[in-house]
Amino acid sequence: MTGYPDGFLTDPPSLSWPVVRDALARRAGIAGRHLAIVFLDVVGLAILWLLVTYIYAWYGLGSIAYTLVPWWAFVLGVVEGAALWESFGRSLGQRFAHRELSGASGVPTGGQRVLYFIGWHLTVLPLVGLFFDPPWHERLSGLRLGPPVERGEAPRPWYRTSSGLFLAALLLATAVAAVGVTITTTNLRRLFTEAGRTAKFWRAFFSPDTTILAASGRDLVVTIYMAVMATAFAVVVAVPLSFLAARNLMRGPVGRLVYTVLRGAMSIVRSIEPIVWAIIFLIWVTVVRAPFAGVLALWVHSIADLVKLYAERLEAIDPGPIEAITATGAGRLAVLRYAVIPQIVNPYISFTLYRWDINIRMATVVGVVGGGGIGQRLYHYLTGNLWQQAGTVMLLIVILVWAIDYLSSRLRAKLA
Amino acid sequence: MANPYLVVENLTKVYERGQVVALRDLSFSVEKGEFLVVIGLSGSGKSTLLRCINRLVEPTKGKIYLDGVDVTRLSSARMRRVRRRIGMIFQQFNLIDRSTAIGNVLTGRLGYTPAWRALLGWFSKADRDRALANLERVGLRDKAYVRADQLSGGQRQRVGIARALMQEPELLLADEPVSALDPATSHSVMQYLEQMNREDGVTVLASLHFLSLARRYGTRIIALKDGQLVFDGPPGAIDDTRFKEIYGEEAEEVEVR
Repeated sequence: MTGYPDGFLTDPPSLSWPVVRDALARRAGIAGRHLAIVFLDVVGLAILWLLVTYIYAWYGLGSIAYTLVPWWAFVLGVVEGAALWESFGRSLGQRFAHRELSGASGVPTGGQRVLYFIGWHLTVLPLVGLFFDPPWHERLSGLRLGPPVERGEAPRPWYRTSSGLFLAALLLATAVAAVGVTITTTNLRRLFTEAGRTAKFWRAFFSPDTTILAASGRDLVVTIYMAVMATAFAVVVAVPLSFLAARNLMRGPVGRLVYTVLRGAMSIVRSIEPIVWAIIFLIWVTVVRAPFAGVLALWVHSIADLVKLYAERLEAIDPGPIEAITATGAGRLAVLRYAVIPQIVNPYISFTLYRWDINIRMATVVGVVGGGGIGQRLYHYLTGNLWQQAGTVMLLIVILVWAIDYLSSRLRAKLA
Repeated sequence: MANPYLVVENLTKVYERGQVVALRDLSFSVEKGEFLVVIGLSGSGKSTLLRCINRLVEPTKGKIYLDGVDVTRLSSARMRRVRRRIGMIFQQFNLIDRSTAIGNVLTGRLGYTPAWRALLGWFSKADRDRALANLERVGLRDKAYVRADQLSGGQRQRVGIARALMQEPELLLADEPVSALDPATSHSVMQYLEQMNREDGVTVLASLHFLSLARRYGTRIIALKDGQLVFDGPPGAIDDTRFKEIYGEEAEEVEVR
């Protein structure tokens, strides 16, 4: 034992040409791989930037532009982006080269990544540091860009990681937005620059015509009554139907059939908007009876909506009391009266108020196609370019809807 | 020698969904006036067994004789008349939360009330007096007009007991009556059951989780495991080996005092 490390006393490797050549080749290989990765990342980011800015400029600003910023800012952004990407994530280039950052003890720490990021600038930009083995920034941070480390468990696929999903969602949203902007011919600039053209309306809207208040008030009452009638008659039909549309109450083959047919029919009725129902009923009961057609339209739609809401509440009731009341020897109706009804009364009233609130708003919309009430008056003024009168009517509608909204939410809060 | 009060013969229950076998070929009988405790792990079929007796759950196979009548073959109208005589209390109490204590207790009379009166909620004066007396008996006379959801767990279960008392039952089914209660309250509830058993001669079938409670209150214990009867005997006969048979090798006995 000499006390020296092994090989210390043997001859140093001679500096022959093959040794030098191999060393150079190895270092060139490392530098080349690093450069290839950086190149891919920079080019990838640049392409992404150009795409986004081009689309934004064309559809958002209505002009052609490539970078939207001075060339030096573009270069700086792309290069810094690549540095951040390589230091703090798995960049495109690293993925292509099948390389990954890893520390001596496995996963890199945040501090090591920051050092790598700083070292990256010292190494990659002057290029010199890359020809060391390992390169400067790897020495500084203690990280190594090597083949992916085999970890105990299989790496999770991208669609199982939160960052992967986030990226996918971002890309999807970008694509959807790009398509959407095109097909709806969006032009944000016009939205802001052309607002002055509407000044005339707004002025008219905010200088109400008080001479039509009395007549409008009568129409308002008609509208309120349309909603009240539609809701009241819908409740009468929807409550019994809801029991037939609740899965937990409809057992057996016949029950299941009734349930399926009823739920299906209701969803079809509900999918046809009240405005369409209004047109159908206008033809049916004649235009002369316009408010009645409006009531029928709201009625039909409310039934479908309420049956669904009621039935879903019924399906959520606690089966415990049903068992308990059945166990006392009570008959079916008594079970319904004592175990089911107490659980649903308040939610039913609450849903009904909610629907009434919707019907008030819908009644004005239904009026626009000729279903009577304040909506019809509004439509009349709008088509006649009577802005001042239209403004008055809209003001009245806003007050009504706000008041009903407030009233119904207060009542529902009381019930909860 | 008269037949036993309750006879269960070859009772099998298979739940259709998933083909779960809850009870397998179960047979035992209960004499009038017994306090029978059913023990076993969760999912061993205790609840299903109790519910088969008053047919809240329809048995798949087998017979259940109550006082010599096969309840599995009764029409629903006649089953209702049998159910009047069978009180039941539940782990989750199953009260009507929005109703008062007395309102809940009165529902115990529904089996004896004509349908039209039941629908209008017109209970007779006699029933109202009886409801107050039963609330008095479970120590809740002063809570009669308090809503059920304002009561504590022990109070809710006592309302459940008063509701069962309204039926003037011959048989009481208690499905884990104290599982949702703390130990002190558990004993108070169990003592009401014991009192019904001793003073009114009500036959009690109670499923319990704690063996200590079963030993303390039961006159006889049956144990279920995977829907099969694994033990039937006096409370004293359950020793450590038996215990491990019923609850599995890893089980430790937990005491409720």
